[in-house]
Amino acid sequence: MAKENEILEEITGSEYKYGFSSDIETETAPKGLNEDIVRFISKKKNEPDWMLESRLKAYRYWLTLEEPRHWAHIEYPAIDFQDIIYYAAPKKIKELTSLDEVDPELLRTFEKLGISLEEQKRLSGVQSNIAVDAVIDSVSVKTTFKETLAEKGIIFCSFSEAVQEHPELIKKFMGSVVPYTDNYYAALNAAVFSDGSFCYIPKGVRCPMELSTYFRINTLGTGQFERTLLVADEGSYVSYLEGCTAPMRDENQLHAAVVEIIAHKNAEVKYSTVQNWYPGNKEGKGGIYNFVTKRGICLGDNSKISWTQVETGSAITWKYPSVILKGNHSIGEFYSVAVTNNRQQADTGTKMTHLGKNTRSTIVSKGISAGFSNNSYRGLVRIAKGASNARNHSQCDSLLMGDKCGAHTFPYIEIKDKSAIVEHEATTSKISEDQVFYCKQRGIDAEKAVALIVNGYCKEVLNQLPMEFAVEAQKLLAVSLEGSVG
Amino acid sequence: MTNIAEKLNISEKLIATLELEKNSLAGTAHIQAIRKTALGSFTEQGLPHRKNEEYKYSPVSALFKSELCPAKQNACAKLTKSTIAELRIPGLDSHLITVVNGFVSEDLSDYNPNAKSVLVYNTRNTAKHAPALFEKHFGQYASNDADAFIALNTAAFQDVLFIQIADNVQVDKPVVILNVTTTETASLASPRNLIHVGQNASVQIIELYVSIDQNASAINNSVSEIVIETGAKALFYKIQDDCPGLNLITTTQASQKANSHFDTHTVTLSGSWIRNNLNILLEGEHCESHLNGLFILNDSQHVDNHTLVDHAKPHCESNQLYKGLLDDKSSGVFNGKIFVRRDAQKTNAYQSSKNMLLSDDAAINAKPQLEIYADDVKCSHGSSTGQIDEEALFYLKSRGIGSESAKALLMLAFTQDVVNTIRIDALRKHAETLIEKRLSK
Repeated sequence: MAKENEILEEITGSEYKYGFSSDIETETAPKGLNEDIVRFISKKKNEPDWMLESRLKAYRYWLTLEEPRHWAHIEYPAIDFQDIIYYAAPKKIKELTSLDEVDPELLRTFEKLGISLEEQKRLSGVQSNIAVDAVIDSVSVKTTFKETLAEKGIIFCSFSEAVQEHPELIKKFMGSVVPYTDNYYAALNAAVFSDGSFCYIPKGVRCPMELSTYFRINTLGTGQFERTLLVADEGSYVSYLEGCTAPMRDENQLHAAVVEIIAHKNAEVKYSTVQNWYPGNKEGKGGIYNFVTKRGICLGDNSKISWTQVETGSAITWKYPSVILKGNHSIGEFYSVAVTNNRQQADTGTKMTHLGKNTRSTIVSKGISAGFSNNSYRGLVRIAKGASNARNHSQCDSLLMGDKCGAHTFPYIEIKDKSAIVEHEATTSKISEDQVFYCKQRGIDAEKAVALIVNGYCKEVLNQLPMEFAVEAQKLLAVSLEGSVG
Repeated sequence: MTNIAEKLNISEKLIATLELEKNSLAGTAHIQAIRKTALGSFTEQGLPHRKNEEYKYSPVSALFKSELCPAKQNACAKLTKSTIAELRIPGLDSHLITVVNGFVSEDLSDYNPNAKSVLVYNTRNTAKHAPALFEKHFGQYASNDADAFIALNTAAFQDVLFIQIADNVQVDKPVVILNVTTTETASLASPRNLIHVGQNASVQIIELYVSIDQNASAINNSVSEIVIETGAKALFYKIQDDCPGLNLITTTQASQKANSHFDTHTVTLSGSWIRNNLNILLEGEHCESHLNGLFILNDSQHVDNHTLVDHAKPHCESNQLYKGLLDDKSSGVFNGKIFVRRDAQKTNAYQSSKNMLLSDDAAINAKPQLEIYADDVKCSHGSSTGQIDEEALFYLKSRGIGSESAKALLMLAFTQDVVNTIRIDALRKHAETLIEKRLSK
């Protein structure tokens, strides 16, 4: 181990530095899933009848489905859906007016995570800052900067709050991009989702700060099912960040979220994720199953949705952030870095569905596998009939570190329009020995050289991240690959 | 539930109408055992249904709508030596083996059966003893459980064409397998080949697919197993031309030993619904394989090219190039997979699929895949789809070439890098003529 290696040094002590669990008083629902639990969650949230109805409809549909197990390149034992707690919430969170009323243990939790809610408050005078919606277990605990944003007409609040205060928007948009019939986990989420973030950017408003949701699973045996809904009205712009961590536990925990984005005419949404759920230990014990449905729709002309993701955590990652390019001249982008180490498995990619005319999409995916892990890119580019002059370019690179891991590429390309131009390129290789030698020759040791090369390899994607996240992501990359060299 | 019931129905019906139970009791004990296993496997699998990932873009149920009987040996009176002569490739001196509806026809073939170096044996010919190598290799490579159509072929074949090239023999002229389907009635033909290329031997094989008296509901489901021993070299050309209306399912399962060389071309110009499976197992070091494909489609033709290159040993190289031109309502599929196993270090594998859509109703589905478990490898793939370059077209037009012939010229150029790699001169010229004729339609 190199002494001078600051990045690695910082985290050598613990394998997963967010692995603590906080002793917060929580209120949980009994284990298992049935209609009563769905009603219980709905009642807890004091939801109107239409919301309960929509949950029950989703639940009944979910019962008719079979757990999808075979098509993805991942392996795991069957999940016992009756062994999961579907609702866990920190107690005493109601009617908070100031941070002083927040459970101090909770504040400490977020401080440990590097997101000081208090500091946020203090710095509120400073211009470039981030508004945070913190979600712990199932419930949104605090949303910062709400007032500042409200001045511009921006709604940024927890999902449950939105259900109470903006039911017309929720009714109109929830399930419009990811209906409960979409897939098994989307149906489950629609039935039991507990909270999440809601964001609405009004016409012509450029959101002055980055919006962010921070997810944290804390309670043992819980599943987290949050829902994010983001609506960008005509000509608006927003950049949205999402981060997640969980304590180290021996059992697997399920995270099945749904994210929906609606971009109207001329609107632009940039959605960035740094996913760092607990990946399990070296032997593959424990860790989060991250089965997420994320989809955006470019509803209006000239709209743009851009997904950027850095996936380093989770025992299993199974997600395909997608864009439906419905408006003419709309643009979809997907930038991804997925790192798997030890026994992690990732099957991730995107779907670009071109429906409008003159639509464009770009896919850049960088996979890195080390240890005994398997890392797959699975993507779909579909050009519908009549989607003239569609353009797609996909670039999927895989880097293998060690001879016990696997890197796979499964692109699906479906073209039904003759004016489409679609290109797909993929490569798989290992880190060039020449490059490592070059670094070592200049006094950079092997491990640091690898971190350097990997960062360079991912630059194209990392450059897409907002400043605050880019730094974190770079560190995460180094941590995730720690011990995989030599 | 209805889906499962339907699946059972079609497969069960097929087993009954094709008399597969009865067929499994024919032939030597060795063949009976193989047929029985295959029948069991097919009964269990049934025909591929819609949810089967490998048949996602090529649903098969429509092919089996009408009741199929087993294809008959001499179903067509028109088939004479002179019709066969017309089907031969012009200017090519070759050994000709004619297979009619899956039966090897000695009468219509034209090769020297006494040549010691090239042994041709068909399993119906009980006068001759099965060569030792036949029993050793037959049915060992194409796995019934991998694809229901392999199981179906193994349970239903009537005759096996076994070509054995002895060690160190360089076969003097190409071997042409003329695969004729006569389609007077809705039937299923199941041609079966086993080709064994001995150590350091070399051979060129051309497989021609032809149909006579077309009937759209006829299916030809063929399986070829090819074993290429150490240091051997095999060129294998599949030309699917002159078989309008035919539904064709072909599976080529090749196994390469160390230092061997395998070069294939699959050219599809005709046929109604075609599925070509090409699976290559590189089980020795320092092997080289080249897979080339070209399909030019119009009307409502459907072609699905599936390739699998399985790198099991280090230091091998594989190269794939598939090109497609699609017009009218035709649809094409390219599904290629490069599989690199743990031990197969220093593998170089490349795959490229390029397609051109010429009509708004044409569709292409591509799925180029990499599945890699070794780290010291260089693997890449590329897939692109586009249309005729307007600027190139303008360039030609500005030099006085008419719009139509300029387009034909550009399409011809598009096919060139596949055609140019055909190493038999007469065959290359023949292919060029066919393509030119096809493009000027």
